[in-house]
Amino acid sequence: MYEDVLYYAVDYALSQGATYAEARYHKNYGSEIIVRNGSVVSAGMLKREGIGIRVILEGAMAFSSTTDLSREGVRKAVDKAVSLARSSRPLIKRPHTLSDERVGKAKYEVVVKEKFEDIALEDKIKLMVALWSELPRVLRETKMVSLFEEYREGIEEKTLITSDGACVVSKVPRVFYGANIVLAHSQKGTLQRLIEFGGSGGYEIFRSWNIEDRLKEEVKNIEPVLAKGTEPPKEPVDVIIGSEVVGLIVHESAGHPMEADRIWGREAAQAGESYVKPEMIGKERIGNELATVIDDPTVPGSYGFYLYDDEGVPARPRYIYYRGLINEPLHNRWSAAVFGVKSNAAARAMDYTSEPLVRMANTYLEPGDRSFEELIEDIKLGIYVKSYMEWNIDDIRWGQRYVGLESYVIRKGEIAEPILYPVLEFTTKSFYSSIVAKGKELRFYPGTCGKGEPAQGIPVWFGGPDVRLSRMRVGVAPR
Amino acid sequence: MKEFLLDLAKLIVDKGKQLGYDDVVAKVVGTDEAMVKVANSQLTVAQIWRTVTLELYLAKDRKVVVVEAPIKERGDVDEILSNLGAYVKAVKESEIYAPLPEPSGKPLDGLVDPKVIDVMYRSSEVAAEVVSAAHNEGAEKVAGTLTLSIDRKALANSAGAEFYEEGTAVEAYLRAFYKDNSGHWAYGSRVLDMNALRDVGRKATLYAKLASNAVDIAPGRYDVVLSPLVVGNLMDVVAWTASAFYVLSGFSMFMKVKPGDEVASEEFTLVDDPLAKELAGSTGFDDEGVATRTKAIIREGRFESLLHNSKTAKVMNTKSTGNAGIIAPQPWNTVIKPGNYSEEELIREVKNGLFILNNWYTRLQNYVEGIFSTVTRDAVYKIENGEIVGVIKRVRIADTFLNLMKNIVGLSKSTYDIKWWEVPTPSKTPFILARDVNITKPTV
Repeated sequence: MYEDVLYYAVDYALSQGATYAEARYHKNYGSEIIVRNGSVVSAGMLKREGIGIRVILEGAMAFSSTTDLSREGVRKAVDKAVSLARSSRPLIKRPHTLSDERVGKAKYEVVVKEKFEDIALEDKIKLMVALWSELPRVLRETKMVSLFEEYREGIEEKTLITSDGACVVSKVPRVFYGANIVLAHSQKGTLQRLIEFGGSGGYEIFRSWNIEDRLKEEVKNIEPVLAKGTEPPKEPVDVIIGSEVVGLIVHESAGHPMEADRIWGREAAQAGESYVKPEMIGKERIGNELATVIDDPTVPGSYGFYLYDDEGVPARPRYIYYRGLINEPLHNRWSAAVFGVKSNAAARAMDYTSEPLVRMANTYLEPGDRSFEELIEDIKLGIYVKSYMEWNIDDIRWGQRYVGLESYVIRKGEIAEPILYPVLEFTTKSFYSSIVAKGKELRFYPGTCGKGEPAQGIPVWFGGPDVRLSRMRVGVAPR
Repeated sequence: MKEFLLDLAKLIVDKGKQLGYDDVVAKVVGTDEAMVKVANSQLTVAQIWRTVTLELYLAKDRKVVVVEAPIKERGDVDEILSNLGAYVKAVKESEIYAPLPEPSGKPLDGLVDPKVIDVMYRSSEVAAEVVSAAHNEGAEKVAGTLTLSIDRKALANSAGAEFYEEGTAVEAYLRAFYKDNSGHWAYGSRVLDMNALRDVGRKATLYAKLASNAVDIAPGRYDVVLSPLVVGNLMDVVAWTASAFYVLSGFSMFMKVKPGDEVASEEFTLVDDPLAKELAGSTGFDDEGVATRTKAIIREGRFESLLHNSKTAKVMNTKSTGNAGIIAPQPWNTVIKPGNYSEEELIREVKNGLFILNNWYTRLQNYVEGIFSTVTRDAVYKIENGEIVGVIKRVRIADTFLNLMKNIVGLSKSTYDIKWWEVPTPSKTPFILARDVNITKPTV
């Protein structure tokens, strides 16, 4: 789409002195429904459509964008980028270059079974509205005092043209559902759970989530945590971390620190740097043999799905940590040139106003071979942290904290009573060195990963199996 | 530009009324923005944008539809409106609804600094001065961002509002590295003040150099002096959760309190001040065309007011506070009333505690209870008997907002205009001293 205009933009930029130029038509469009306590707050449409232009000129990287899709519009956008690059001389030290790549000429599309527009809006709303009356049916000791729901469906269409030959046309539909649930107990206060679902595909993906059953199961499980939850054990215990928390941990402590632009320092004032230094790559260990973390944009149905990145490089799985080794950082073509390697197709841009940055796609801990029962059968005293609300990690991706939501004591190999707000606070190395066994079932969870300035939120999956860690001391969140 | 944007907004309202909608609000914002990003003391990217965005609110029989879309010309209007009939037909009546109020807005003037527009295409030259200021102070390398912009906002609605306002904005922040340490500072304003911008570089470096000897602490409760960067970040959360929409949606620590309840120490007053013209959130009208006004969220320790539009106000049986966004009420500028201490006196008040310069990644376990943690970044200094004695790396504040705010015992006389990546709402805040704040760190 708009290929003529995009080729014109690239050619015009080169004629103005650019040594590299890329033009990306980028359209995100879709719908959103917001429901609160069984009542529709609003429904609406969101559309972002325009062309992003990036040039390298006299060693400077400059980006501009326009919503004017005419030749005149893109010419002005190129002029601005060129002008900005020229005025940036005082700040140039190392001239910008990109790695040489065999870029794609390709067209791909996620094929859907049920188009969003073929499902009546009324049916989508009906399901969301019904949950306000349906979920309390499984509650015994608490009340659901708030249920905030958000449904989003959308399509991302892109056409990328670069001055070194890329021409990639893509169309990826995505769907998302999120709910914020607040339960209240007359004596114990409140408990809050945010739960999200996301993937690429049509409405059939949404149906596959069985939202009503999943949310009923969820509130049924978290009610005892509020009503009966006790403090976690004070002595060091064996810890089972559920796949939802494992997914978040690998996103935060494997994916982010292995973004090559962070390692170089490009995000130092925003998302921070990395504990990983260039000389550690391929040489130093961060964990044991069970610590293999993969980021794979090509997982079918995934929220972070793509086949070519936003610099035209074909996607493939990246083994970020391999059997405990700090193995392969995520690269775009700029960081690959800095590090003297090839890009592994991690360049992603949120929309037409956004420069492509080094980003994750679908990050997961490689699963193992145990059933859940086998993971816990010989634990005399332990805890199981199945889900979370609060978490954070420092700016070099070393010290991190996860506060359990649905969590239990494990006693004599069995799941026992619920516990309230256990805190796991460890370093990246201690986590990846403490894995003693992994479940065989791989599960994924959606997220919107933020990075860059202006901040770009992009859809990702993160996941893993349930994991058993060696003994550690567990804290408790203040109340 | 004014006529073009206002004409578009009015055209949309007229067409919306012709289509039978009871309420139509069209906000059309044209933005020119330039950003220079620096890392390892060199340019990483220079960016420039021009966008014109429509935010549209339509209601018919209490059913609400919203749209966000780019708009280029009058010819786009019919296409935008054409697909919305199906939405109105499908959605249910909204419980959070009220007819549009009478327009009472008074656009502010004096929000434009022509210097911002003058240097927009030469923003790298301004950024280079900020970088130089840091290096002149001794910084070994720096990273940061300078953003210059002008927003032109036109609002029209079916209750008769026709308002236009334009304002410039400057946002600069820099992280300065010195030996094994780093400092950070930020500036957010409507005005291009070169001294304030150079101060970003200078202060970031000075804060990296207050001490170099590493010391360690055990997790526990400490007295903490929080810089305006930290205060701005944490109070941004408090101000947003004071939006009545988030109270109604289960995302607020104000769900369980009523006006007059004690939520902070009596030293502490948090104000939403849209009339602070020097801050980039200043405006004379909200998205419903209602006049904005200055109001306390917390006054002298007691909860005073949520932030309302006419719809949330109707649900909660009160009046709009002039904070309407298209759907959810929002804070404009967060301003914290200063205290009587000098910055040095706040440090001297601490027997055993920490000076925390900067933080990020504030997350809540439970919004209703206000249980949160946040991670420090850049320098954290250990204070003993009123003196800085060494530098600590990366700890966490893990507490509840109520505990933190109730334990405030001192605020500085000086305040700073701050906006950056981790303080998205423009803010004017002092340093604060809080007692017995829970500090954690990894123990394995």
